[in-house]
Amino acid sequence: MSRSGFVARFALPAALVFLAAAPLSGQPSDDDCLVCHGDSGLKGGQGQSLFVDGAKSAASIHGSAGISCVDCHSDLAKVSDFPHAGKLKPVACASCHEAAAAAVGQSAHGSAHSGPKPFAVLCKDCHGTHEIRASADASSRTFSLNIPETCTACHLSRVPNARGPGFVGQYLQSVHFRALSKAGLNSAATCVSCHGGHDVRLVDDSRSKVARPNIISTCGACHAGIERDYLEGVHGKAYVKGSRDVPVCTDCHAEHDIRSPADLGSIVYATKVAAVCSRCHDDESLARQYGLLTSRLKTYAASYHGMASKSGETRVANCASCHGHHDIRPSNDPRSSVNPANLAATCGTCHAGAGVNFSKGRIHVVSERTENRWAYTVKIVYLVVIGGLISVFLAFIAADLYRRLRGRWTR
Amino acid sequence: MDALTGRGLIRDDEVFLRMNRVERLQHILLIVSFSLLVVTGLPLMFYEMRLFKAVFSYGRVFYYRGVIHRAAAVLLIADIIWHFGYTILTRRGRENFRELMPRRKDALDAVALFGYNVGLSRWLTRKGLLRRFFDRHPFWKFENPPEYGRYNFIEKLEYLAVAWGSLVMIFSGFFMWNVELSLSMFPLWLHDIFAIAHGYEAMLAFLAIIIWHMYNVHLNPEVFPMSRIWLDGKITGHQLKTLHAIEYRKILAAREKALGPQPAEPGPDIPPGA
Repeated sequence: MSRSGFVARFALPAALVFLAAAPLSGQPSDDDCLVCHGDSGLKGGQGQSLFVDGAKSAASIHGSAGISCVDCHSDLAKVSDFPHAGKLKPVACASCHEAAAAAVGQSAHGSAHSGPKPFAVLCKDCHGTHEIRASADASSRTFSLNIPETCTACHLSRVPNARGPGFVGQYLQSVHFRALSKAGLNSAATCVSCHGGHDVRLVDDSRSKVARPNIISTCGACHAGIERDYLEGVHGKAYVKGSRDVPVCTDCHAEHDIRSPADLGSIVYATKVAAVCSRCHDDESLARQYGLLTSRLKTYAASYHGMASKSGETRVANCASCHGHHDIRPSNDPRSSVNPANLAATCGTCHAGAGVNFSKGRIHVVSERTENRWAYTVKIVYLVVIGGLISVFLAFIAADLYRRLRGRWTR
Repeated sequence: MDALTGRGLIRDDEVFLRMNRVERLQHILLIVSFSLLVVTGLPLMFYEMRLFKAVFSYGRVFYYRGVIHRAAAVLLIADIIWHFGYTILTRRGRENFRELMPRRKDALDAVALFGYNVGLSRWLTRKGLLRRFFDRHPFWKFENPPEYGRYNFIEKLEYLAVAWGSLVMIFSGFFMWNVELSLSMFPLWLHDIFAIAHGYEAMLAFLAIIIWHMYNVHLNPEVFPMSRIWLDGKITGHQLKTLHAIEYRKILAAREKALGPQPAEPGPDIPPGA
């Protein structure tokens, strides 16, 4: 907690409690306010409810700290003539919550968005008003389990999103939201965990927690072991060097729609992994730039593993089965799962008792001609034999039909 | 017609058994297992085709495809073992096998049939061309279609093709089924060749059946729409005489011998082809 936070949460309320103990003459008390506002039927000029639930506001973080109505509605502090004028000044939370207000001012919420009906976001839009509670309180709007509801109140449809409608809503199908809502796990990632709270920023802002250069540490805040593995792998090493072409967490796991790999809808579901990896590994320009081997998907698809996987078989090997996932290493790395020395163990995870013979040959065979000459020979021989035999068959059939038809013509 | 079939020893409507019940059953098992194997296996050679992709990715189709493929393979192997035993242990089986062995005559028959069907030599002879060549080598005149024994060169080729194909498919398929066993003995590149050979041999077998066998037993105008031998195993004396003249004469000779010597009589007349 920052120093100003400490002031706002403890020192200031304590001072106010102390001051409240010696009531200042002329300032209306909460009870004075509730004389009118405690009436649940109280309506304003436009018919809006002006009711304030005294019990709830007394139980709020402010009420329980002894902060009175006029501490926030400060323009009423000097008023003695009731009922007071209709329009009040907006409550200035910043007068106490300096740091938070400053952060919000810098954030995406600090300025009106570029949508058709722009509006600035105020503290109360997220935190509520009289009934504000500490975010650790389960009934608070900013309690982890309640965060998605709070944010989606605007972001589900009211606020336009560059990624299209429904992009934010994908979170509601994610493994994070399931953990939150189904398992009740309050440590599961909410909007705030990845985007930040007061300092939420747009993704193209380099200071954003979800900007590409920061995404690894953002996810790693919870997935520390995976962050460590990733940074040891070939992708992580290039990422640290500042490459913008290597995949980060969200490239393989999606952004809001992050799901368990066991979920059929996950983009890293066993049968869909190949499509994810080949986005880059079948890309000619990336291959040229980084000296990657191409035709990885094509050669995988031609293998039994690939065919079966494409047909929905989850037990066959996909890219990750052999290459690993977070800590993928190049095959010349002795710790790589596809290093020739480790192939027996890697293949052996499925093919029990796989020996060294697994390394005597190629897996992604692009051209049999150069990579497996005997196989190439066999293929060519077969093609010649098939072509030759079928031609002979057809010639015999044609000759037979010719003779029969000619017999009919001349008869 | 009786006059032609030496002393009427073989009537035209006499029924001979060309395929007995065991042989027909073996043939039906072969049809069933082969068809299942083709349907569940060959599409893998065309895995990129959208149709197969759609069918195979429906539910657990791909899994059952594999199960059916291996079950059909077991059926085929059982059929072959049965046929093997039958061929070795029964007299008829041994006789059939001897008759099925390829000879020099079969190659000549193939050339002769083709030459006869095309009719180029007859046309040249009629025009008086190459007379000296034809006089010296009358074989190349192709005046008559070749005569066959119990099995003609087409049938022999098919039988031997099935034998060879089964050998390749069972050997390679067994090791594809048992990857771990295969790779405990062979390097990966050799195992890959098993898979390649399995696919291409399948293509060859499928094309041979669909083109060659289907023409000879179904589409050929002689038997169209279908030769019924595989169902009832029967062949008439007339069919025997025209299609398997050598076998016909053999039977005739055996019957004549059994009947004892008779006054000279003309041998069976061989009608020219069609």
